[in-house]
This record gives sequence, structure tokens and C-alpha cells, in this order.
Amino acid sequence: MAVAEAAQRIPHPLPAPWWRGKSGAAVLVVVAMLIAFLGWRNQGHWPAALTWNSVGPHLDRFQTWLSDNRNVPDPNLAFRAFNGLANFLDHLVAWSTRFFHWLTWAGTVVLGTLLVLRFGGRRAALGVLAAFASFAALGLWEESVETFSLMLAAVSLSLLVGVPLGVLAGRSSRFNRAVTPVLDAMQIIPAFAYLMPVVILFSVGPGAAVVTTMIYAVPPAIRITALGIRGVHPNTVEAATALGSTRWQVLTKVQLPLARRMLLLSVNQTILFALSMVVIAGLIGGQGLGDSVTNGLYTDPAMAIFAGAAIVIMAISLDRATEAMANRTDPAHRHLTADRSRQLRTYTAACAAAVGLTVVLGHVLNAGADWSRWTAQDWLRQYVQRGLDYVQNPSTFLFRDLTNPTGNFIVQHGIQPLRSFFIETPWPVTLIGLVLIAFLLSGLRPALIALVMLFVVGFVGEWTNAMDTFSQVLVATVLTVIVGFVLGVWAAENRYVSRALRPINDVLQTLPQLVYIIPFIYLMPVSGVPGIVASVLYAAPVMIRLVQRGIEGVSPETVEAATAYGATRLQVLLKVKIPLARDAIMLGVNQAIIMVLAVVVIGGLVGSGALGYEVAQGLQRNAFGLGVVASIAILALGITLDRVTQGRVRARTQA
Amino acid sequence: MKDRVRGRWMAVAAAGVAIAAAAVMVVGTAGAGTKASCGSVTLNEQAWAGSTANTYVAKAALEKYLGCKVNITQIAEIPVYQALANGKTDAVLEDWQHVDQYKQYIDKQKTVVFGGPNGVVGHIGWFIPAYLMKEHPEFKTWKGLKGKETLFKSPESGSQGMFLGGDPSYVQKDQQLIKALGLNFKFVSVGAEPAQVARWSQLYKQHKPVIFYWYTPQYLNQEFQLAEVQLPPRFKGCVDDAKAGGDVKKYRCAYDKTIIEKVFSKKFASSGNPAFAAMKRFSWSNADQETVAKWIAGDHMKPDKAGQKWVSQNAAKVKKWFGK
Amino acid sequence: MASSNGNGRTPLIRAEGIWKIFGRNANKVIGTPDVDLSRAELREKTGCVAAVRDVSFDVYPGEVFVVMGLSGSGKSTLVRTLIRLIEPTAGRVEIDGRDVTAASRDQLLQMRRHTSSMVFQHFGLLAHRTVLDNVAFGLEVQGVAKSERHARAQEVLRLVGLEDAAGQFPDELSGGMQQRVGLARAFAVDPKVMLDAEPFSALDPLIRRDMQDEVIRLQHETGKTMVFITHDLPEALRLGDQIAIMRDGRVVQLGTPEELVGSPADDYVANFVRDIPRSHVLTLRWIMRDAKPGEEDGPKLDVATTVKRAVPLISDSERPVCAVDGGKIVGVVDKQAVLAAIAGEGD
Repeated sequence: MAVAEAAQRIPHPLPAPWWRGKSGAAVLVVVAMLIAFLGWRNQGHWPAALTWNSVGPHLDRFQTWLSDNRNVPDPNLAFRAFNGLANFLDHLVAWSTRFFHWLTWAGTVVLGTLLVLRFGGRRAALGVLAAFASFAALGLWEESVETFSLMLAAVSLSLLVGVPLGVLAGRSSRFNRAVTPVLDAMQIIPAFAYLMPVVILFSVGPGAAVVTTMIYAVPPAIRITALGIRGVHPNTVEAATALGSTRWQVLTKVQLPLARRMLLLSVNQTILFALSMVVIAGLIGGQGLGDSVTNGLYTDPAMAIFAGAAIVIMAISLDRATEAMANRTDPAHRHLTADRSRQLRTYTAACAAAVGLTVVLGHVLNAGADWSRWTAQDWLRQYVQRGLDYVQNPSTFLFRDLTNPTGNFIVQHGIQPLRSFFIETPWPVTLIGLVLIAFLLSGLRPALIALVMLFVVGFVGEWTNAMDTFSQVLVATVLTVIVGFVLGVWAAENRYVSRALRPINDVLQTLPQLVYIIPFIYLMPVSGVPGIVASVLYAAPVMIRLVQRGIEGVSPETVEAATAYGATRLQVLLKVKIPLARDAIMLGVNQAIIMVLAVVVIGGLVGSGALGYEVAQGLQRNAFGLGVVASIAILALGITLDRVTQGRVRARTQA
Repeated sequence: MKDRVRGRWMAVAAAGVAIAAAAVMVVGTAGAGTKASCGSVTLNEQAWAGSTANTYVAKAALEKYLGCKVNITQIAEIPVYQALANGKTDAVLEDWQHVDQYKQYIDKQKTVVFGGPNGVVGHIGWFIPAYLMKEHPEFKTWKGLKGKETLFKSPESGSQGMFLGGDPSYVQKDQQLIKALGLNFKFVSVGAEPAQVARWSQLYKQHKPVIFYWYTPQYLNQEFQLAEVQLPPRFKGCVDDAKAGGDVKKYRCAYDKTIIEKVFSKKFASSGNPAFAAMKRFSWSNADQETVAKWIAGDHMKPDKAGQKWVSQNAAKVKKWFGK
Repeated sequence: MASSNGNGRTPLIRAEGIWKIFGRNANKVIGTPDVDLSRAELREKTGCVAAVRDVSFDVYPGEVFVVMGLSGSGKSTLVRTLIRLIEPTAGRVEIDGRDVTAASRDQLLQMRRHTSSMVFQHFGLLAHRTVLDNVAFGLEVQGVAKSERHARAQEVLRLVGLEDAAGQFPDELSGGMQQRVGLARAFAVDPKVMLDAEPFSALDPLIRRDMQDEVIRLQHETGKTMVFITHDLPEALRLGDQIAIMRDGRVVQLGTPEELVGSPADDYVANFVRDIPRSHVLTLRWIMRDAKPGEEDGPKLDVATTVKRAVPLISDSERPVCAVDGGKIVGVVDKQAVLAAIAGEGD
């Protein structure tokens, strides 16, 4: 009896039902927005009084001014400096191309393969060799060499800029905080928006392409370097400091050698980011595979697919090669003694000799710079063309009964209603609703940032377009999260799935979106859908990887404990692993949104309209101002969504 | 020990790769050599097939008659003006009236010069499949469309008919035209030209109704039977590029014929290179261009081969460019 | 609380009124009444955390000074402020007659290179270098030539019994061996002062004991002055000449092991030392009384003998045992005193 009484006195810590919690409040907000939508449909457009229309024209005038002052016979010093820089970059790429030509194709193959063999090991070297064979077989040798040279220049310069800044960001939290939003902007603002000013300053050609690529490839170099420097155990740094090392000694003798693996991984990531700019670089004279993709899209889709394949092969082989080199040469695990380094030096010399011999032989036998004797292009073309004919044929089962109705369904029941909801709901309702949701999900600060950002969107006159894009981003994100979550969990639980997914993810992340979108333009020919498919295919790999890593990262001890209490595998997954991986999953959602936004412009090129269309026009119809304004809106949307989804996780990890 | 094994393996591999490379080289050596009397000329090729056609024909002709070394750049339509201004590209042989650029680079900065029309006359308009025209002869003019717009319904156009807009990079005014003509069309953009082609060609193959922004010359016109819908006649002050903004009424007319211009870098024009004179005289017809474009885009002939083929088949025409 | 070890000599390390407050407005807290708030209150009020509060002590040459406290007591922060790995918010540190707190960057560097060295809980070894190069690291940053520093490193490795591991890498060694490398690295620069920041906390108990013996041996052989941080009371009692017990950033008691065990300053310390067998720590000095006339001819024992070791002699002897300090009788111990000391255990 006494026990029961005591028990009664203890207040029951029962959790409140979900509808009384924050999710309930968020649902309420959505319902209120829906009521406003139904009641005051189309009655509240963003007021002209709150719009500053002259941003675009101002920017256009700026561009004209820039061009006028640059294209005079005797430009001022600043422009001459840009000229000099552009020339230097052009030459850098040209030298590199010429170097490979001088090596002859045979020397190039031997150099690449032996270099990777010496530092990365057998598997990676075989991969590189296979890549060379593929370039030859695809009949894209010269294009591949050009693209590789461009990438080599862009990546080395990105590292030259990014690594020191990354070191700085790794050692100073203040610098890190200051530089992070800049890096975010560099990665979210579509390249189309700044292509024209880059062209005016640096003219066209490989130099301008290098600059454009760098804008996108420097951020990962900085981020990963900083991560590497931060990853060095503080104890080690402290020990070195306590022994009287100067800051420079700490950096060169402790931090850099120990962060070296991460530094090489940053090379790896920088390469992948640089390769994803190849197509855009092609628009301003970047040459190589990028040109083949763009031209192929208009005149020969099979060629675009070949060039896309070459880009993917280059990316994957370089990824594996740099990763192998990073792991194998990691000084912390390599245990390099004096004896061993002497031996290794001998092997290096042997490899160098082999390369030299090949080059000499190449010249003696007149091997030529370009492999063009034999290619499998025509043979491959039959199959690719057959595939293309199949997807282009509207009377197949696939199109008639599967993809076409699906596409139409998504448009009619997903995109269109959502789009009208966001566009036609009076703007104050949408604005306040979104800010409230941000507040409920992430807290006060993120909500304030969302408020400011949404206001910026309206202020630059992009409210309607932004809401249009927003609705599509939302559909794409939901699909990405579903696909990514399911596959990520599955991959974490099943290593065969994991192994099968890895190459697919790699391909999707490196294949230019315009290439893999080709079949979908035909299979789901309804505006909006190919864009969404492109975003989902581009963003899902990141979500999959983060979910998988999160679930695999759950401590085995915890899993063991749950198992010991008799939990089934499903229970372990649902009650232990997924809840514990929540942060990783939320991070995945957040990254998915950023990635979806990154391909908004591609969407514009395949019928998603709205902001992406305007950015594309900015470059193609000489509407620089319009393009920049739309890009600002994209950036503002990106920041809003980032804060809404990431706020709480970040707040927790920072505490 | 493991090290030494690995080292030996590596040495063997290195030697193996070198020998294999040498062996392949013996089989696959290639010779190269070019004569250059006019030096080198850089032409810019744009993404669409027509541009590829005239660029490669010009290339073949310059190589054959002047022994030029011809480089080809592939730079988008707007950025290429900066390339012309810097002399990084010498010539664009097909420019669809980029009036803003003319003002900026040709009139004001004088870094780019006109090279005269290239003989091709472009025409933009509203097109429908020929089979549809047969079923609905009233579609000959835009007035016949009135009241029948819902025939063109699509998933994204709701209760209206769908008008398929052109590539965002092309000159257009269809949204304004639809409004000015009072038609119940919803303007739908499906993006760049390849996507737009995909859209209407899929509908064409299904024999469904579709109306879209299209133009001539275009090699696809040989593959698909299309018919044009007549728009209201032109009047003075009628505008074609919606970028100009303003009242929709000033757009209420058919698109003008587009004279396709050649533009050259000022540097190239004043260099005294004989290639400049030849390129200035370069001119051919819509049919010529469509033929070559079809070879390249339709039959997947290598652009170089297609150019050479046309140059040798049309020697008389080509010789005129070189003043012979 | 004057130390019997240090009387009449100048301290090698002198810490005066050291404060370390973490937080944005740390400097503004010092000198206000806020400093007397409890940690939680201070945090609530200013957002600052006081890690070290007004700590002063002297360490004399050749002495092992132990700072003991539980995690969060501020002991790790305190030792780091001594060579400004963490900047103290207020206070003054003097090492070997030089003012550390006022030292320029360069002076500080020189001091870290030549006067002090440090051993860390997680060893802080450089994973990319051999054991030999790790030990030589301190000399390397000083700019000592390679052959010379390798010779010295080899010598020190012999001292810690690791001469055969010179060519190995840290991750090939056990935890105990890794910490020997850490010790060797600290000895290699021949410092006047060694700072040990919980060097054995991450080790197994048995290995920890070995390492303590190692430290005692090395300290005897080299006569180094040490500041030793630990959370382990037996370790503190084994090694320390002087022990400071810290709690919430303050030193609650500073004294010899005997003083701590014999007369704890407060309940906190008393609680700590409760399970320590007093007879293992207390010496005759602690329990002796003045000799009455006629008692001076009993059996003699050194005054620093622990009770435990004195028990056999005292219990066998009919007469009180004389405690001798430098040949002079300073007091006597009888059976009752010993029993009282032993009976006091476990209170």
C-alpha cells in the first residue's frame, strides 16, 4: 500500500503526445496557411512598394562599364593585371597540354600508370590504365588530355589558394567563422551568374575556365584542409608547444605531416568538384570534354554520353588514385624508416627511367601526341543509339505505360498544386508561415535569418519565381530524402547493397547532369519533371552516404546492449540505430537541399522555369543583372532552407 | 622482405608497361604535317548544328584554298563577343542579331566589326506538325487557333492549351504575342533546344497536337514535316525581342526575317590576312546549310568530313569566296 | 604550512594568486565581488567558468609537487598556466627566478625549450616519427644538430629501458611503453622542471605502478623538480613531497602527505584520505611526543620512518622508541601512540 501511495506522489513523466509538441504546432501553421490559400487565393502579390527593381539594371550598367573600360586600346593597370593573369593561366594550361603532347600518348600512359603504381599501389594503377584505355576507345583522347590539363591547372591553383587558407581556418576559429558563409555562397551561387564578369575580366579560353572552376573548387580545399588541421590531436600540438616549438614549427613538424592524409583527400575532393565544372567551363572556351558534351546535346546525344562517360571515368580513376595515394603515403601509418626510404627512392628512379625510356621510344617511333589509330566509338555508338532510339520512341511500353503517365501524375498531383499553393497564397501568410516553421524546428536565430532572407527574395522582385522554384525544390528534396533514407539504411545493413551503390553514387555525382538528364527529357516529357529527376539523382548519393555513415557509426556496444535485451534486428534498427543516427540523417537532409538547389539552373535548362530559367537567360541573353538577381534569390532560399533544417543540430553540436 | 617483393614486382611492371607501349607504338604510329601560308585563323562554333555546318565548311575551304591552320573555339553566343574583342576568336559566321552586343562592341567599343550577312535567312515562327495542319486547315493563320486552344492541353497547362516556348537563349516574344492575340494558351518553357525538341518530337511521333516556337533553317525540318501558323503582319515599330519590355501591343506581329550576320574581330579584320577577305565573302543558302547540318547531326558524319565534302561538291561557289 | 624540505632555500617555481576564468568577459570578473561566487552562480551570472581560483604555491628544487583533484577541479588547467599553454587570467608565475607571466613570446619559447618540459596524459607523441625522432623532438626544435640530438635521445632511451625500440613507431608500442617515450622526450632536453599532466591516468593499474616506480627512480637519479598532476590519491601520496588538493578551482589543502592524512583541513579532504592506511603514511614525527628524562636510551629510529615500518621494533621494545633526526633525538614514540595512530584508520 505504502509503495502504491509513494508511486502516486511521483509525477508521471509521460511524454506529451506529438500533437501537443512542436511538430503539432508546425502542422497547425501549415493548416493555417492552407486556409489562407483557399480563402484569399491570388489576392496577395508581393507589393511593388517593397521591391527594389533597379538591382538588375544597376548590375547591367556595371557590366557595360566594365566591358567598355576593359576593351579600350590601353586599359588601366587593374585590367592589364587581369590580362596578365589570364595569359598566365592560358599558358599554364597550354604548357600542360603541350607537355602531354611531348610525352606522346605512350609516355602519358606510362607516366600516369607508374606514378600511381609507385605511390598508390596496384589496384589504383590498374584503374588509371583502364581509364587511359577508355579515353582511347571512346575516341576522346585529345579532349580528355585537354580537360585533364585544365583540371590540373585549376586543381593546383585551387590548392595553392585553398590549403593556406584552410590551414588558417584550421588554426583560427574566428577566421573559420568568417570564411564559412563566403564558401557557402561560392558553392551555392550558380556559375552561370558570374560567367560573364569572369569573361569580361579574363576574356575567354582556358584561363577563364580555370578561374570559374576555382571559384567552385577552392571551398572544398579550404574546408577539408581546415578539418585535417583540426583533426590533429590537441595533445600532440600541446606537447610540441610545451617543448618550445614556434607556431611555424608546430605547423610544419606536427600539424601538416599528421594532417597529410586529409590534405590529400582535399586534393581528391577538389578534383571531383573541378571536374563537375567541366561542362560550364566549356561554354567559355574551356575546350575538351565540356565542349563535346554541350555540342553533343544539340547535334549528337550519343557523343554527349561518350564525353560524359569520359568525365566520369576520369573522376573515378583519379578519385581512387588519390585516395590510394593518400592512404598509402600517410606518414602516421607508413612507418618510413631510413632503409625503406632508400629502397623506395630506387623504385622511384626505376619508374622515372621507364617513363624516360618510353618517351624516347615514343619520339623515335613517332608515336604521336594523340591516340587516334583505333577507337571503338562507332561500335559503341550502335548500342548507345539503339538505347536512345528506344527512349525516344513513344510507343514503347516503358514510355506509354510507365514513365509518361508517372511524369504526368507527378506534375498534376505534386508539382502543380504545390506550386499554386506557394505562388497564390498571399505573401505575408507564406512569409510568416515559413518563419514560424523555422522557429519551431530550429529556434529563434534561424527563424530570424529565414525572415531576412525571404524578405530579400521579395525585395529583389523574385518572390513569385522563388516560390515556384521553392515548390519544386521541396518536391525534389522530399523524393531525395525518401530515396536516400531507404537506400542509405539498406546499404548500412547490407554490405552487398553498399558495394553495389558505391559506383552508382560515384557516377551520379560526377556525370554532368545534362548528360544523365537526356533519357528523362524523352521519357518524362513534361516540364518540371526532368529537372526534379536531375536534382534527385544528383542529391541522393550524398543523402545515402550520410545516412549510411550515420547508421554505421552507431557504437557497436550500444547495438550489442540492445541485442542482449532481446531486440530483433528490426527493433535494433528502429529503436536504436536510426534514433542515434538522427544528427547524421538531419545533416543528410540539409545537404540534400543544398545539392538540389545547386542544380536549379540545370532544371532551368530542361523546363523547370523560374529562377533557374532566369539565371540561364542571364548568360545566354546578356541579362547579367537578371541572372545575378535570380542567383541572389537562390542563395537566399538556400540559406533559409539550410537554417531551417540544420539549426538545432548545429546548435547542439556547437554547445 | 615484403617491400623487396613489391619493389621487384614494380620494376617488372614498369618494364612491362614500357615494352607494351613500345610495341603498340610500332603498330600505331601516325604522321602529321600542315602547310600554313595564311597563318592560323580561329573560328567560333556554336552549339547548334547549323553553326557547326558553316564553321566546318569555312574551315575546309580555308584549309584547301589558303592553306590556313584553322582553330575552332566553342564559346557561347554572348561571351564570344569578349573573345572577339580580345582577338582570341577571329570570326563568328552565324550570329542571330545580338543587337545589344552590336551596340556595345561594334558601335561603341569598335572592337568587333560586321562581316555582312552569311546568306542564310533565319525565320522564327509558330509551327505545328503537318498532319495537324491537314486535319485543321484553319490553323493556317492564328485566327483559326481561337477557341481551339484546348486541343493543345497538356499536364502542365491545366485548362488552357500549351504553347511550347523556345530555348531561353533565343530571341522570342511568345508570351507577349499570346496575350496580345488574346489566345487561351499557357506558355510553357521546357528549357534548352534539345529539351524542346524532345518534347515536341515525342508528341509528333504520337501524332498528337502540339504548337511550338521554331525556326528555319534547321536540319530537323528535313526529318519532321512541319507547317507554320501565320501570325499578324508586321507593322512599323513592331518588336521581336521581349527583353525590350513594354506594352504587349507592340509585339503583335509575326517575327521579322532574321538576317544572319557574320562578325569579326577588329584585330583579324585589320590584320591583312587573306582569310578575312574570303570569310567576308563567305555566303551560302538555307538549303546548303540544312544539307550539311543534316550530314553532321542527322547522319553523324564527322564535321571535318562534312565540310570537306561540301567544299569539293560546290567548288564553284567556294571559289567565289576566294575571288577566283 | 611551511615545507620542511624547502626551508632556507629559494623556490624554483613560485605561483602567486593564479586565476583562470574561461568566458568572454573573463578579465572583467577579476577584482569584482563576483569572484567569490560559486562556480555555478558565476556561470549563471556572467557566463564565465572559473577553472582556477587564486592558487599560490612554491616548489623547491628537487621536490615533487603533486596537484591532486577530481576531474573538473582545475588541476589540468593550473599546470598549463605555469608555462602559459593556457594564459592565466590573473596572477604571477616565476620559474627559476624569471617571471613567466611577463615573458615575451621569445623568452617564453626559450623557457619552454630549456627550462621546462612536459608529459601528457595521452602521450602526445608524433605518429609520423620514429621513437628516436620523437624523443629528439625537443632538441630538434631547439635547433640541435641531428647526430647530436640522436645521440642524446639514444642515451635517454637507455635510461627508460627502451633502447631497442628506437626505430619503431609509437603505434607499435604498448601504452606503458609509449609513456616511457613521453618521459624520455621530457628528460631529453634536460629541463630544470618537469610538468606531468596526469601522465599515468590512461594506463592499466599494474603498469601505472611500474611507471610510478620509474618516475621515483628517475627523479632520484636526476634530482629533477616535478609538478605532478593526478586524480589518484595513492599516486599522490607515493610521489609527492608536497601535495595540493584542489576542488572547484581552489586549493583546499596544501601540505605533506602526512599533514593531509594526519590532519585533513576539511571534510572533503578527510573523505578523500579516509581509506588510506594512516600507518603507511604517517611517520614517527607525526606521532612522537617529547622525550621524558630517562627515555633517551631506548631503541633509535629515524624520525621519517613510517608507522607501519616502525611497528615491529616498537612492539618488541619494552621501552619507547627514540625518533632521531640527524643523530639527535627529537622525540619518543610508545605503544599507545602507535595503537592510536593505527586505530584512527578508517574513521
